[in-house]
Amino acid sequence: MKNLEELKEIREKVRKDLELRTGKHRIKIVVCLGTCGIAAGARETMNTLVDLVAQSNRSDIIVTTSGCAGFCEQEPMIQVYIEDKEPVVYGKVDSKAAKEIFEKHILNGQIVEEYLFSKGK
Amino acid sequence: MKDIADHIFDILENSVRAGATEVQVVLSFNQKRFFCEITDNGRGITGNEVTDPFVTSRKERRVGLGLPLLKRAAESTGGFLKISNLKGGGTCLEFEINLAHIDAKPFGDIAKTFIDALYCWPEVRFSVFLREGKERKLAIFDSKKIREIVNNSEIKQKEVRDFIYNSLAQELKKIGIDFQFGVSLS
Repeated sequence: MKNLEELKEIREKVRKDLELRTGKHRIKIVVCLGTCGIAAGARETMNTLVDLVAQSNRSDIIVTTSGCAGFCEQEPMIQVYIEDKEPVVYGKVDSKAAKEIFEKHILNGQIVEEYLFSKGK
Repeated sequence: MKDIADHIFDILENSVRAGATEVQVVLSFNQKRFFCEITDNGRGITGNEVTDPFVTSRKERRVGLGLPLLKRAAESTGGFLKISNLKGGGTCLEFEINLAHIDAKPFGDIAKTFIDALYCWPEVRFSVFLREGKERKLAIFDSKKIREIVNNSEIKQKEVRDFIYNSLAQELKKIGIDFQFGVSLS
């Protein structure tokens, strides 16, 4: 890659906005990215979520990935962990569903029944 | 799997799950044949049955479909899939797909594959090379170098990822891989 110098410039640009908002993660969204998830389009779901988090200016939300959870027919699946709350698992989460879950559940704490797979441990 | 880019991402995930900390990808594309070699320093494979769907190391389910699917995607175009253990540990996987064959899958967005890998597995070093001619290898992507510049919260910014994506996509055009305008088969 030749453009590493240019990358530094871009970094400086975004860094200014970021300095103000570093903190602890309170909400964790896990996207299952096993073979089954990938085949079902989980990468798109993940990218949608990452962009939504970046747009929301929230530093306490993190998007991470895991492998196959064993419910391949439900892919793409995401797990939502909110501090002090029971974990919630959603199934068949495409980009559109991810947006809805992000707005209703992540930002407003309201579980989206339509895509709900399981609640609690 | 929708396209070849998905397959490559799946192989990268295999490497990560096998505990690899370094994954090297060599790509070449000539005379309509796309060749990809992925080597890692993970714990390697046991036996030669990895392309059997009923052999898997995972415990969540008893079938493993990633490699058998890729094997079929490659072989149905007259290509191949080879997988072997490296002497010093780790795995080497090679596959070739004839993109001009009627049964070839769409190519997909392979630059995106590496950007996603860069985001998903920050602790793993991914490097990508293009092979031009017989020996010459051209380094076009090194996640370690990128990670030295941008940290975890910076990489979440679309601007940053888009920039890395665009420069990688530009490099891939050198061997005729162009997501926007398709792979050139002429």
